[in-house]
Amino acid sequence: MTGDNQKWLDQNTFHHGEFWDILNLVKEKEKKGLTISLCIPTLNEEKTIGKEVLILRSELMERYPLIDEFAVIDSGSKDKTLEVARSYGADTYLASDILPEVGDKRGKGENLWKAIHQLKGDIICYVDADISNIHPRFVYGLVAPLIKKEAVQYVKAFYDRPLNYSSGLRSSGGGRVTEILIRPLFSLFYPELTNIIQPLSGEYAARREVLEMIPFPIGYGVETSHLLDLYEKFGLDAFAQTDLDRRVHRNQTTNALGKMSFGILQTFINRLHSQGKIDRIPNMETFYRRFEVEDGAYNQLIQEVVEEERPAMIEIDEYRNRTVQS
Amino acid sequence: MAEVTKMLETKSTEFDLNNLLKDLPKQIEKIREIRKLVLTDAVLLGEIPSPTFNEEDRIRLTVDRFRENGLSDPEIDEHGNASAVLSGTEGRSSILVMAHADSVFDVGTQHVLNVGPDTITGPGIADNAIGLATVVALPKLLEMLNISFKDDLIFLANTKSLGRGNLDGARYFLETMKCPIRAGICVEGASQGRLSYSGLGTLRGEIRLEIPSNYDWNRFGSSGAVGQLTRVVNQLLEIPLPKEPKTKMTLGGLTCGTTYNKTPRRGTLRFEITSEEDQVISTLKQKVDDLCEQCSLENGTKVYLEVVATRPNCGIAFTHPLVKTTRSIMSDLGVTPEVNPSTGDLNVLIEAGHPGVTLGLTTAENIGEENESIHLESLPTGIAQLITLLQAIDQGLCEL
Repeated sequence: MTGDNQKWLDQNTFHHGEFWDILNLVKEKEKKGLTISLCIPTLNEEKTIGKEVLILRSELMERYPLIDEFAVIDSGSKDKTLEVARSYGADTYLASDILPEVGDKRGKGENLWKAIHQLKGDIICYVDADISNIHPRFVYGLVAPLIKKEAVQYVKAFYDRPLNYSSGLRSSGGGRVTEILIRPLFSLFYPELTNIIQPLSGEYAARREVLEMIPFPIGYGVETSHLLDLYEKFGLDAFAQTDLDRRVHRNQTTNALGKMSFGILQTFINRLHSQGKIDRIPNMETFYRRFEVEDGAYNQLIQEVVEEERPAMIEIDEYRNRTVQS
Repeated sequence: MAEVTKMLETKSTEFDLNNLLKDLPKQIEKIREIRKLVLTDAVLLGEIPSPTFNEEDRIRLTVDRFRENGLSDPEIDEHGNASAVLSGTEGRSSILVMAHADSVFDVGTQHVLNVGPDTITGPGIADNAIGLATVVALPKLLEMLNISFKDDLIFLANTKSLGRGNLDGARYFLETMKCPIRAGICVEGASQGRLSYSGLGTLRGEIRLEIPSNYDWNRFGSSGAVGQLTRVVNQLLEIPLPKEPKTKMTLGGLTCGTTYNKTPRRGTLRFEITSEEDQVISTLKQKVDDLCEQCSLENGTKVYLEVVATRPNCGIAFTHPLVKTTRSIMSDLGVTPEVNPSTGDLNVLIEAGHPGVTLGLTTAENIGEENESIHLESLPTGIAQLITLLQAIDQGLCEL
C-alpha cells in the first residue's frame, strides 16, 4: 500500500463517534456562516420514512439546530410516504413539481439533482429513506467533516458490514455490487478511488458549489458518477468518508442487483468515454485493492492478480506434432 | 371546630384540584404539539437492547438524555440505575417518578421500531420504552409547559426489574435513598387507565428437571424430560387454589429439548403464583416443593424448585388521597380506571413505606410480542395525567 493512500486514509477517514458533540458542531457551523439542507429522496417508503423524519428533525433541527432545512423529495409514491412524512413535520415535494421547465424523469438521481434547485443550504446531505436503524449519526457524521475541514468537498458514508470475524481481522467493504463490480473496475481504472470503502453508499453530503457543477445520472449510476466526476476535477483530497457503524436495510434480490450493475456499468463506460480513457486505455493495473479492519484501523490490502494467458493449443508445436503423429 | 376545619381543608383541596383539572385540555394540546420529543427518545432508547441484567447501553443513553434535558448531575449507582434530580423551588421533600429500563427481549432480537402515522411498533415499545422515554423527557416537557414544582422531582430509570431481576434495581435505589419521598409514581407504557395502588404477593419459580446419566430407561413409567415435565404440569394443575383470598397460578414457559429425534434429559418449567394472602403463597410453595421431591424419588430423576422472585402483599387504601386524586384526574380525562394490583416496581416502593401508584400511558397491543405496538393518539392524555398527578402531589393534595 502506498504512503499517499495510507496518509489519505488516516486523514480523511472518520468515525461518527469523533463528532458526538453536536452542540459544538452547531457552534462551528454558525461561526463559519454555513447552512445545511437535508434531503431524503423517496419512492414508496411509508414503512421507514416516519422514523427518519421523526428522529432527524427532532434531534438535528429542534434539539440541536444543525440542519436548517429538511425536505422529502418524492418520485410519485403510491403509498402513504408523503402523508407519513408530513405528519412528522417534513417539508415534502414532488420531484415533478420542481423545475417543471426541464421536464420530469423518474429515478432517485432526479430527486437528488432537483434538490440542489429546491434547497438553499451551502451543504446538502442526502440520506436514503430505507434505513431501519436511523440515528442522528447518519447526518452529523457526514456533515461534520465539511464543517471542520475546508478542503473536503464531498463526504461518503461507510458501514460495518461484518463478513468475517476470524482472528480479530474482518473484511470491510461494500455490498455485492461494490465488491464484484465497482472495486475491480476502480482497481483497474481508478486505483486511488479504491480508498473509498463503500463507493455506492446512498448517504453522502457535499458542498453546493461542487454539486452544482456535475451532471447527475437519474438512475443507479448517480453515486458512481459523483465519485468519478469529482475525482477528475479535484482529486482524492476533495473526499472524506465516515464510518457510521451499522446500517439495517432491505436486502436486494440478485436480479435487482444485476439491473443495478447494468445501470452503473453504463455510467462507468460513459465516464471512460468522456474522460478519454476508452480510446487511450492506460496500462492495465494488476493490483486488486480491498479493505481489512484491524483494531479499528482501516488497511487497504493490495493483491496482485495477473491474468496470464496461454496461447491456443493449436499454436503449440508439440501439440500439432502429436496430432500429425496420431 | 375540628370538623369545620377538616371540611374547609377538603373544600380547599377540591378547589386546588379543580384548578389543575381545568388546565388539562390546553395541556394535552400543547403535549400533542411537542410529543415528538418523547417519541424520539422512545425510538432511540427502545432500539437499544436492554434485557434484564444487561441494561448498561440503554442506561448510558438515559443519562446522556437526562443531562441534555437540563438535569445537571445524573448518576448511575452500583446496580446500574440511572437517576437525576430536578430541584424544586423549596425542595423540602421529593417526588419519585420511575420507569424500569429493562425489557423481556434478549440481545438477539432485532430491536427495530417502525414509526407509522398513528402507531409505533416493535419489541419492547410498550413495556417499557415509551414509559422510560416519558420519564427521560419529562424535565424538558415541564420546561416547555412552563410548569415548576416546589418539591424536588427525582427521575429514576431502574434496572433489574423483570423476571429474575426481582425488582433488585428499584429495591437498592430505595434502600440507599436518603431524601424524604412524599410519593412515587411508577410509569408503564401500557395501558392507559391502569391504576395500581397495591402490590400483589407473588412467587416466581422455575422447576428444573434433570435425568441422571445412570437413569434406568427400562424402569416402569420411564420417559424423557418432556414426558416427566408433562407429568409435573398435570400435578401442578391439580393443586387446588382458593377463590378467597384470590389466588392464581400461571404456567408461563416450558423449555425442553432441541430437536425432533433426541430424547431430552433436561427441562425447565417457569411459573408464577400470585395471591392476596402471603400465607397462601407460602403454603402453595410447600406443595410445589413436595411435588418436586415426590417426582424425584418416584422417577429416579432430579426435580427441584428454584425461587427466582418473591414479593409480599402490600398497598395503600383505595380511599388514600393519592388514589382518590388519581381517579379524579382519570375521570376528568374520560379515562376509565382499570384497577389491578401490581407485581412490578410499585411493590418495592410501597414496601419501602412510600405511597405510590402505577400508571399506564397509552393503549397498546401485542404486549410481550415482537410486534408490540402503542397508539400515539392517546399518549398526550396519558402524559397529561402523569404531569397533573405530579402537580397534585406537589401541592399537597395527596396527603393522608
